[in-house]
This record gives sequence, C-alpha cells and structure tokens, in this order.
Amino acid sequence: MKVSYQWLREYVDLADLSPEALADKLTSAGLAVDAVEPRNKGVSGVVVGEIVSARQHPDADRLRVCMVNVGTGEPLQIVCGASNANPGLRVPVALPGATLPGGVQIRRTTLRGVESNGMLCSAAEIGLETRLLPSAQATGLFVLPEETPIGEDIVKVLCLDDVVLDIDLTPNRSDCFSIRGLVHEVAAILRSGHSFPEHIEAPKGVGESPIAIDLATERCPRYEAQVLDGINQTSSPLWMQMRLMAMGIRTIDLVVDVTNYVMLEWGQPLHAFDADSIAQSQIVVRQAHDGEELVTLDGQKRTLTRDMIVISDPEKAIGLAGVMGGENSEITASTRRIALESARFDGSSVRRTGQRLGLRSEAQQRFEKGVDPAAISPALARATALLVELGGARPIGPSVAVHQERQAGDSRQVPFVPEQCREALGFAISNDEMEAIFHALGFGVHRQEDKWLVEVPSRRADVALTADLYEEIARLHGYDNIPSTVTVLPVTPGMRDRRQAMLAKARDLLVNMGMFEVRTYALTSPDALAPLSSPYRPIPLLLPMSDERRVLRTHLLPSLAEVAVHNLAHQVSGGAIFEIGKSYLTSELPLCAQPQEREVIAMLWFGETEGTLYEKARRYDFYDAKGVLENLLAALGADASYVRSAIPWLHPGRSADVVASGETIGVVGELHPETAKAFGIDRAIYAEIDVASLLATRESDMQAKALPKFPGSRRDIAIVVDRETLVGDLLRTVNKRLATSGLLQDLKAFDVYVGEGVPEGKKSVAITMFFQDAERTLTDDEIEQLVATAIDALHVNHNAQLRS
Amino acid sequence: MDMEALIVQLRRLQETALAKLTEISATRDLTNWRVQYLGKKSELNALSKQMGSLGQEERPLFGERVNEVRKAFEDAYLERQTALAAAEQALRLAQETIDITLPGRAIGRGAIHPISRVIQEIENIFLGMGFSIVDGPEIETDHYNFELLNLPKDHPARDMQDTFYLSDELLLRTHTSPMQVRTMERMQGDIPIKVIVPGRVYRRDEDDATHSHQFTQIEGLVVGEGIRMSDLKGTLESFAKALFGPEQRVRLRPSYFPFTEPSAEVDLLCVHCHGEGCRVCKGTGWIEILGAGMVHPRVLDMSGYDSTRYSGFAFGMGPERIAMLRYGISDIRLLYQNDLRFLAQFARA
Ligand SMILES: [Zn+2]
Repeated sequence: MKVSYQWLREYVDLADLSPEALADKLTSAGLAVDAVEPRNKGVSGVVVGEIVSARQHPDADRLRVCMVNVGTGEPLQIVCGASNANPGLRVPVALPGATLPGGVQIRRTTLRGVESNGMLCSAAEIGLETRLLPSAQATGLFVLPEETPIGEDIVKVLCLDDVVLDIDLTPNRSDCFSIRGLVHEVAAILRSGHSFPEHIEAPKGVGESPIAIDLATERCPRYEAQVLDGINQTSSPLWMQMRLMAMGIRTIDLVVDVTNYVMLEWGQPLHAFDADSIAQSQIVVRQAHDGEELVTLDGQKRTLTRDMIVISDPEKAIGLAGVMGGENSEITASTRRIALESARFDGSSVRRTGQRLGLRSEAQQRFEKGVDPAAISPALARATALLVELGGARPIGPSVAVHQERQAGDSRQVPFVPEQCREALGFAISNDEMEAIFHALGFGVHRQEDKWLVEVPSRRADVALTADLYEEIARLHGYDNIPSTVTVLPVTPGMRDRRQAMLAKARDLLVNMGMFEVRTYALTSPDALAPLSSPYRPIPLLLPMSDERRVLRTHLLPSLAEVAVHNLAHQVSGGAIFEIGKSYLTSELPLCAQPQEREVIAMLWFGETEGTLYEKARRYDFYDAKGVLENLLAALGADASYVRSAIPWLHPGRSADVVASGETIGVVGELHPETAKAFGIDRAIYAEIDVASLLATRESDMQAKALPKFPGSRRDIAIVVDRETLVGDLLRTVNKRLATSGLLQDLKAFDVYVGEGVPEGKKSVAITMFFQDAERTLTDDEIEQLVATAIDALHVNHNAQLRS
Repeated sequence: MDMEALIVQLRRLQETALAKLTEISATRDLTNWRVQYLGKKSELNALSKQMGSLGQEERPLFGERVNEVRKAFEDAYLERQTALAAAEQALRLAQETIDITLPGRAIGRGAIHPISRVIQEIENIFLGMGFSIVDGPEIETDHYNFELLNLPKDHPARDMQDTFYLSDELLLRTHTSPMQVRTMERMQGDIPIKVIVPGRVYRRDEDDATHSHQFTQIEGLVVGEGIRMSDLKGTLESFAKALFGPEQRVRLRPSYFPFTEPSAEVDLLCVHCHGEGCRVCKGTGWIEILGAGMVHPRVLDMSGYDSTRYSGFAFGMGPERIAMLRYGISDIRLLYQNDLRFLAQFARA
C-alpha cells in the first residue's frame, strides 16, 4: 500500500515528524514500511508558463520557437520540439539553471542558430509516471489546467513536495488499506488526535430516488446507490490526479478519479455506471446463473457461474459485483445520469470470481480483505459531494440503502481483564496506560472493576478476541519494552528419540567414511523414475510448476543420479554421496489419504575414487559400497547378511539384498548397465537402507563378555569348489555345522584364488577358523575333529575338495 | 725366548691390532678382527702359549701382561662395536628418511550438508533447553496445514502460502506448523509441551537466488500454564546467543500469523556488521530470522487445550537462511545443487 505523507498530514498532526521518522514508527507498530520515496525525483527551477506564440524554426522542420510568459515581464524565447507546443497552453517551463530528474541541467543555449532560454517539459521530463496518466498527457508537453497560476513553482503545483511511504500490510490489517485507517493508526501511535470525519453530510437531492434496489443474495450484506445527473464529464483537478498518482492509481476522468479517490480515502470501493442502462430502474443484486454471459468493461465476454455475484436489472446482468462493471452500463460521452454504487460483497466470493476470471483490481483486493460497513454511507456521501463540487452534478433524490436483516454492527465488545493481559505479556503496565492505548485507537472502554469491556469499532475487523487486544496493547506499548524472561516449567529431558539418535549417528558414520551428504528435491518427473519400473505410480501435483518437478518421487536413486550427472559434468571425477530422505508411496491414485512416507538412507558411489600417492584412482565398485554398509550396520548394531538380489534395475551378478533378523532391510548393488545408461551415468553403485526396518532389527544394548583365560587355536584350510559357489554360503555351512560345539570363535575366508593349479571352472578358497573354550585348553585331537567335521560339511553341501 | 723379546712382540701386536681396529668401518671386518686377535688361533694366544718357556718368576708377570693386552683388545673391540653399530644405525636412519610433507594415507572424510549442519546445531541448542524433537508428515491435509491453524478456506492469508495440492484435501505442507496441532493432539492435554520440529516444506515459488520450492523449517512450540510473551523473547534470546554468540540481541516487531496472537517478526543483530548497518542488513543493523508469537487461543482450543487456562508460544525459522548468513552463501540454489566442490567446503567438523 502506497500512501501519501501529505494526505495523512491533512488529517493528523505530524508536527515535525519526518516521513522517515514516521516510517520507523509505523514499522515498530507492525506496519512495515518498505520504502520512503519522495515524489520529487530531482525537479527544481521549473515554473508554470504560458506559450504566448509559437512559430516555425527557420532551419529545423521539427522545432518551434515559442515565446513563453513565465510571469517575469518579458516573455522568454524557448525552442521546443513538441508537436503540441501551441499558443495559449500552460506548461512546465524549466528556466535556465533548472535541474530535472536524472541530474539534467538546463542552460541558456542556441539551437540551430536560435537562442533558447530554457525548456518546455513533458510529464516524463519532470518525473511523472506516464503509465498513470491518460494517453493524451503521456506524450508531448504536459498541459496544465488553464487556471494554473503563471510563474508558480511546479513543485507546488504538482505537489512534488509530497513523500510516499510504501507499506507492506499484513493480511489482517485491511483497515489500513485507506487514508482513514492509516490516520487512525498514526494517531494511535502518536497518541495525538485526528480530524478524519466519522460521517459525511451529502448534498441532498430533490425529490425521490429514481431507482429501487433488490438484495437477492446473502452475499451482499449492504448496497447503497445515489443517482446524479448533469455531470460535467471533465478531467479531475490536478491535486486529485497527483494524489492518485502518488498512491499508484491511474487517472482517467473525473468520475473514475473520484471513485478511486474516495476508495483510497475511505477504503470503500465505489462503482459508477450509466443509470439509464438499468431496465425498469431496478437494481437486483443476485447470484449469477450458470452459463450466464456478460461482456465486462475490458471488452471480454465472460461466462459466469452460480457462485459469482452480479449487479443486474430485471432483464440482464450489468456488472460483476466488486470485480468489474459491464460494458452495457459503461459511462460514455452520451451518458445523462450516473448511478454511484457503494456496497459490501462477500470477500470469498469476490476472491474466487477474480481468480476464475484472472482479474485483480484495487477494489477487488479491498472487498476480499473485507470493507468496513460503517464506511459505506460516508464514502457514498463523500463521492457525491465531490462530484457536485467538481463536476457540477445534481443529486436526484437521496441515496437508497438496503441491507440484509442481520448485518454487522458498527462495533463489537471484547472482554478484557487488565491483570490477565499483564500476565500474558509478561510486563508491568498500568491500567490507565492500557486505557489510554485503547482510547488512542478509538476503542471505547467500559471499566467494571477488574473486568473491562472494550468496544472495538467495525473498521478494526481484526480485533475480535481478547488476545487481539493483548496484541494492540503490546504493539502500542512497544515490543521493544517487552522484557526477556525464562519460562518456569517442569524440567524436561531434552533428548533425541531412538530414530533421531540413530540417524544422527548414521550421518556422522557415513561422513567419516568419506561420504558427502546431499539434499535433493522430492519433486521429480515420471521420466526420471521410469528406469526403476517401480510398482508404485508416483503421486502427481494438481498444478505443477514445471515438467521436471511434477510428481513426488517413489525412489531416491533418480535424485542421487541427478547429483552424479551434475557433478560429472562439472569436473568432479566421482564421489560417494548419501541422502537421508523420503519417497512417497501409495497404492491408490487419485490420492485419498496421506500416503506412506518411506524414509531411507540412500547412497551412491559414482565415477572414480580420488587418486592418491598410495592408491591410484580407480572406479568405485561393489565392495566399496559393501564395506561402508558393513561398517555402518555393525556400528548401528544390526547383524546383516547379504543375499543375491533379484532387483531388475541392478546388475544381476553384482547386487545383494541386505538381510537382518530375517527381514530385508535394504539393498546394495551395481546399477544394471541399462539403468545406468537411462540415468546418463557410466557405472555406479547404489545402496539403500530402510530406516524403519533398520530400527526394528537393531540389537538391544550390548553385553560385555569376559576375556578368555585359556589359549585358543587357529586352523587354516584350503578347499576347491565350483566357481559359482558363494563364499558366504561356505562360511554359513561351517558356522551352522560347528555352532553346537560352541567352540568356533572366528571364521573367515582370507583368500580366493582362480588360476594356475586350480582346475577350470573351479576356485580355491582359504578359510581360517579359530577355536577356543572358556573353561580349558582344547586338545589337538579335539581341534582336528572339529576341522574334519567342517571339511566334511563343506564336501557334502558344496562338493568341496581339500586342496593338497 | 727371553721375556724382553716376548714383551716387545706383545707390544708390537697390541699396536698393530689397535691400529687396525681404528680402520675398521664394517661389522664383518670387526668380526674378522675379533677372530684374528681374540680367537683361538690368534697371535695373542700363540704368544701366551710361549709362557711355558719362561722362568718361574717371569710367568705370572708375563701372564699378567697378556691379560692386560687381552683386556685392552676386548675393551677396544666393544667400544668399536658400539660405535660401529651407532654409525650403522645412523646411516640406516638417514637412508630411511622420508618426505614428511607428502600427504598422509587418506582416510576419506566427507561432509554433512550445510543445512543438516545448521539443523543439528539448532537441535542441540534446544535439546540443551529441554526441548524434544518431533517429526511429521510432509504430505499433510488441508485441515492440519491450514484450517486447524486458524486459516479457513478463502482466508486472505492463504495468499501468503502458495500451495502444491495433491488433491482437494491433500497437499505438500507449506510449513512445519501443522505439527503444533498434531503434537498437542498427541499430548492430549498434558503439559508441558516443549518441542521443536525440523523438516522439509514446499511452496509454489519459482526457484531463484532467494526462493526455493523446497526448503526446510524448524518449528518450535511451548505450551503450559502461565507462559508469557516475555518468555518467548527470553527463550529466543537464549537461542540467539547460543547460535551466534553472547553479544547477540533480539528485537521483536509486531506482525501477523493467523495461528499466533500476538505475533512478531524476530530480528537478530546483523551477523555481519553487529548492528552497525551494512549491505546484508540493508543498513538497518538487524536481520529478520524468525516468525513467532503466542499460540492463538483458537488453535489451543481446537487442539484440546483450554485457552483460558493454558498458554504457549510458537516460532519458526529457516535453516537455509541461517546457513546462507552464517556461511556467506548468496544463492539458495547452491544448497540444492549438491556440487561436491561446494559441499567439500563443509568438511570441517
Ligand atoms: Zn549488517
């Protein structure tokens, strides 16, 4: 909301408070001022002059030599290039020594041999926004009204000494969408009085009003209209145009300007239309019929729906309430009588209508946020008075006002207990001070012992609850005056829950294993997810912003692959990344309920390791990933095993399901070459651990075991098995077979060999076993017996031959 | 043989042997020397065997002399052996010298994402103040995301929340605030409630240097009896000091959120100029970092907490903004591009 400092000053005594100081006070009170901009963009030495004569420049087709009266006696000779430099016009004249916006200095000069003593100015040259002017005023010399005093400083004539405050209003403060509201607010902040009127006495017209009004929808609580005739369709006075421009409103003509002016002043949008276009002189405010059509003022044919409100007569719609008038009731040069409308329409309805039709006028914004019922009549009276005063209009009869049986009152009473307010805010403030604040706001106070009733005028629709009054007290007392205290509450243990603690630990572990955490977007495209042939269809957005981000991911791999692609394209040769993130899974679309949000630790190794002096750069492989997983899961207390995976988008021979406590909790594997190709990467290893599953399988607290008192014995064996045999299976067999003995303390493969000395299609596996008893030293015989049992089991289950 | 001649021989032997010994620089030569001069077939042994040809009185004298020489040989040998060993070790160590400026064997160290880093730090501060951490769904209902937060349909403030809808009723949460309501519902009227809620949120914003359609928030909620607005200010001040240093101060400015009343924007002293005024704070000396307020009585009532008996405060902040301020990041998109050259800068613990 842009607001004119001078306009405010008209109603409230700002004394020597500068615009900047006022801006600070408004900001501290919750009306954040984003900018303070002087209207004068650098004009000085420019006065009003009248072109006395204009003749063709002897040596330049497009130049004219004007004699200009600037009130100093002798007319000045000024050469001008504007096509409208005609005798009799009053225009801004930049005298020699004048400055114009952009630092332009005006000097006495000679143009093609003719002396020129200054410059005649266009609107743009004196810093006016041409987009806010009627097109005739936007180009050529800026023509001033003929009564403008000659020689007067243009800064005064065009009110360029004004300053505009740009206020970022929060949605609750719709009351400040007007001079009226801001005057009340400033007066409250300054604790000074103001002279903004409560009511306006409108000039009385003779006879009866020629129109009747029928409120046929509840969505219009109140509608008033005044008919006028004899209006002189002229332009509005300069001071009004300048105020409209200062507040960012385009000037059009007297009638439109007056309705806008009163809207800015009172916050009440008005609409003027041709009174003679109303059939049977009857205005009907009703809901539109589905499919009803109306050509609006912008010439567009609109198809209406039932939830829109229309202004109509018994035959046809003539306007979209609060949004835009109809072309069939537009005021034209031949209009004899005009009708002025001041009404209140349901904000939601206006908002939806505007959204549907893609319109968002100043009036519409005010209706959406809610207008003050108490301003409807005075605004109409004010506009009527201005049209009478400035346009010579004559009111016909009084205004007509109709309203719903139940309508909002002019004020409401809100209970308030001073002691409770002090307790809620946490600072000391006297009852009298609180009462003074309410009075400054224009609120009435009925003090009854320690329970008050505060009477809030209807213009402050945002103040309805006791808590709203607390805020008024706090902000006008000053938030800066609120002390810092500390809540006195029962002591609570602040700690992460199991899941949070596990994830924090996982993050640290992964980072310490050289992995980088990434954070990617949950929104992606169906194409990005396609290579995974997921059983889940991704959940689409109703209104996506782009094709790349229009569904929720069902998997994290595409997100991590995107990161890999970005890095590989930016001189990063490879890396190990992870994300703790979610995928969004549902079995039914369209979505009816909150879907499953599956949290995973997703990891990707792509490209090459960083080469060092000690180990050359090499491509990441399956065992890099598995090493990290083993380390991570061991640290997190999960006893995992790895089983060949059947996931189709992974390499069938280089992928494994991660199993713990009989449940699959994740997967690790090299991407299937086709998958990798689809993602645009060469080769990568992906791993994923489901957070909920991991949490469910984690072992409980660890138990310490005493150190052994008796020595143990290690035995190594080398066996030959088929090449396809999994070492993991061999170890599992041995483990299972010797489990009952309780003596096998360690078991692992320490060498796998294929080549010379090993038959074709076979491999040699070296296994080490460590036996120990807590109670005694084992004999050689016992140990040999155990080893023989192991070898026997390997032979039976895997056709293993002892290597000689 | 007379003794004189033997003693001369003995002396000559001693001189020759010791002279040779000083020339020895290798362990092998030293061993040979020992065999030659102290071994069974040594000249010293040979001389000592001639003792028998001497007279009765001369024998002990000569024997004594032989032993003196043997002792001298042994001492010299040991001394030489020690010196040689030391020299050889020095040589070996010299040969073993390495370039200590070469890098150590890499134990790859990655990095926590800067947003997670900020979130963890903020979590730790609030954990220290006795808050617990709760997480909630990113896919919310209109009911929880808006209506129970005092934002009925068609509320003008919904303009501020441009929302990704998935259906008429389901949406990507636009803030972490729905967890205020979910937490109160879960607590079923128990007090105190002291929680923070970190999480991802989504808005229909075009991605640019300062906007991201996906970002994170940390919500805070305290509900109990007798909680005052000054407690909100005190809590946030403690937090600000913990996060940015003991000289920090907070400034509250009146503002508007539908689910708090009174509401406030919370500014901290500019972390760059400490209040002097600079480009980062647009000359004001303050930077806006949080939105906060007293929990709206309607929100309390709708969540099962009688607003005439209980009160509370809530606040929300953006880890991205804090990360950008703290690490001097000027474009929010860097945080979601995940360029490893960028992330590697956060490898410091
Ligand atoms: Zn600063």
